Amino acid sequence: MALLQIAEPGQTAKPHQRKLAVGIDLGTTHSLVASVRSGQAETLPNSRGEHLLPSVVHYLADELPQVGIKAQLHLVDDAANTVMSVKRLMGRGIDDVKRLGESMPYLFEACDQGMPLINTVSGLKSPVQVSADILRALVQRGESSLGGELVGAVITVPAYFDDAQRQATKDAAQLAGIQVLRLLNEPTAAAVAYGLEQQQQGTIAVFDLGGGTFDISVLRMEQGVFEVLATGGDSALGGDDFDHALAEWMRQERQISAQLNLAQQRFLLRLARTGKEALSDELSTQLSFEGWPGDGAYAALELTRKQMDDLLDPVISKAIRATKRTLRDAKVALDDIAEVVMVGGSTRNLRVQERVAELFQRQPLTSIDPDRVVALGAARQADVLAGNQSGEELLLLDVLPLSLGLETMGGLVERVIDRNTPIPVARAQEFTTYQDGQTAMAIHVLQGERELVQDCRSLSRFELRGIPAMAAGAAKIRVTFQVDADGLLEVSARELTSGVAASVQVKPSYGLSDQQVADMIKASWTNVEDDRSARSLREQQVEADRLLEAVTMALAEDGERLLTTQEQQVIVEQMEQLVLARNGDDHHAIAKQIEVMAKASDAYAAMRMDDSIKRALAGKAVDQL
Amino acid sequence: MDISQDFFSCYGLVCDFSIDMEALRQTHRSLQQQHHPDRFVSQSDSVQRHAVQVTAYLNQAYATLSEPLLRGIYLLQLKGMDPLAPTNTQMPMDFLLQQIELRECLEDLHQAQDPQPKIDAMMAQLEAQANQLESDFAQAYASSHLDQAETSVRKLQFIVKLQQQLDALEGELLD
Repeated sequence: MALLQIAEPGQTAKPHQRKLAVGIDLGTTHSLVASVRSGQAETLPNSRGEHLLPSVVHYLADELPQVGIKAQLHLVDDAANTVMSVKRLMGRGIDDVKRLGESMPYLFEACDQGMPLINTVSGLKSPVQVSADILRALVQRGESSLGGELVGAVITVPAYFDDAQRQATKDAAQLAGIQVLRLLNEPTAAAVAYGLEQQQQGTIAVFDLGGGTFDISVLRMEQGVFEVLATGGDSALGGDDFDHALAEWMRQERQISAQLNLAQQRFLLRLARTGKEALSDELSTQLSFEGWPGDGAYAALELTRKQMDDLLDPVISKAIRATKRTLRDAKVALDDIAEVVMVGGSTRNLRVQERVAELFQRQPLTSIDPDRVVALGAARQADVLAGNQSGEELLLLDVLPLSLGLETMGGLVERVIDRNTPIPVARAQEFTTYQDGQTAMAIHVLQGERELVQDCRSLSRFELRGIPAMAAGAAKIRVTFQVDADGLLEVSARELTSGVAASVQVKPSYGLSDQQVADMIKASWTNVEDDRSARSLREQQVEADRLLEAVTMALAEDGERLLTTQEQQVIVEQMEQLVLARNGDDHHAIAKQIEVMAKASDAYAAMRMDDSIKRALAGKAVDQL
Repeated sequence: MDISQDFFSCYGLVCDFSIDMEALRQTHRSLQQQHHPDRFVSQSDSVQRHAVQVTAYLNQAYATLSEPLLRGIYLLQLKGMDPLAPTNTQMPMDFLLQQIELRECLEDLHQAQDPQPKIDAMMAQLEAQANQLESDFAQAYASSHLDQAETSVRKLQFIVKLQQQLDALEGELLD
């Protein structure tokens, strides 16, 4: 029977044969599940009519975990066993998590792959497991609302999510027993929700400002094809920064000491949020310090819309700058943008809407609930991928959010695929051996925009072994990167003359802090100058090492035979000079000494060449050659 | 979809420098529609892997054909030439001198007061040079003067690199 229900892709299944598929917005603070029913995408509520599922899991000793509102109730009384904001831990290592500090009141333990585990009464839980528990709750809601088993889900991720974070999300789905039809970037999902609803054509910008992150994507829509032209943003910029700016202003206005305890900080932040919300309807509001948790009393404070706007502007300006950069990356001018779509709770802020309208000279679209728009778009895509839509209706073409590369000599990153390259993509790059007789090569895969290994995210390391011993530079090692439609990477390496091969599915187990990911996105802009001189320095150092090694080996081999003691002395002195320069940080000085050194050893190199020819020819008659 | 054929054949184009960009774009769209992995989600792993490979090939082909520099290099590679060979470094002296001058201009822009008009002027100058080199290449290629075509494309590579650096500089100044 089951076989009869399979519809060919491109054919519409009859209503009773529709495959049940959902779109899931797995969010930091709350999650949603949505599906297409009778041609309409809608978010699915629970039995009490609530659509948003708080992304909170409460672990119990001998029972199944509670998820959502029930779990949320225990955030204070059982903080250590109630996990929230787990999305911030996905694909991260224990060291990154420690850097998140007090905001995470859990007992962490590292497992052998360096993944952070949360110590709860129901055992050690990895972020992947916690996410899986949230996904399970959403899938159950989907199945009971739709009345049947799901064939799969489209799960959304922030566009700036790197390979490790995407992989962790996919692992969570696997753990929850749900087939991932596709990982979809959140801004792309939002564009789909708007685009299909309004039959948009042309180029649009999706401005996605959440609590702690900012994503901007530029897409072109044409006959059902949604093509992402560029994506960018700042993973440490969001509505939380608004609250902090307002709280800091209040503190200064009332001359409260900067040494605040946790309760006082929370008080000011809550007051900031209340004020922010009040000013969405009023032009001015009173902020009352009643109930201040500490010594002294403070008079109520008036906050006007104008004052608030001035306080928020520096934060919004950061998002505006990131937007301009992304438009440049997309090679799109401001007036090419036909619509601006707003996503994320923080875009409800009127000043944000004003500034965005000012930049694009048009009113941004806010007609779909910014909390739900991502899930609705994901549901559309899930419906298409499950094969319920006819023909060539919808195709999403996405891009790689962060550049991929390999470590080369001297701790430099060689880019293999640039960010904003359309995916799927495959690229190969050839490398060679550095030393004579080298039989193995370490391959270190990195993601990020900076030029030095230490500034990028390390995704994976593996080794290509069994390379036949050859002279330095003779082996040809081709490293191939393949990124699939989910943005997940697979790397393989092959030595071309011998065919020796190795490959890995990139499964990283360690990660970076939020701050470092933010750096990847934005610091490539601010650190260009730094990077450039650091790069020159490393390049010259590598060059110096190469020369030193070659001359050292040559001297050991035939220095005494070919050179007088004095000639040897001159070369050794120059080598010492080069070592000194090499250990300094002036790349000009190294370059200069390399030149001097090369000159000093030129004659010797010529002698060696003559010598080896002589020896090759020794004792052979002309007709033997 | 045969991914061993050359990029031009795959898009049904004549192997030439001048191509109809709009037709290329349309064809790319419809090929993506047919071959994208999203079309094969419910099928076997090997079918899906193949779809990833085909789409990666199409993306590579499209990127190559839509950029004049890459298209030029590719045309010469199809003729068995290697314009990017590291041994291939000889350039006419006057061109090199001009490049050094342009590079100095670019360096000066880092310190310039009100750099935008100067950036715009340099952009325009580079754009004009790129256009000239593209038309030189087209002519040389059409008349089978492949050595000349190679020189043009290598010059173009210098110009494109400068354009990228200028673009990056403008991006920095935005902040």
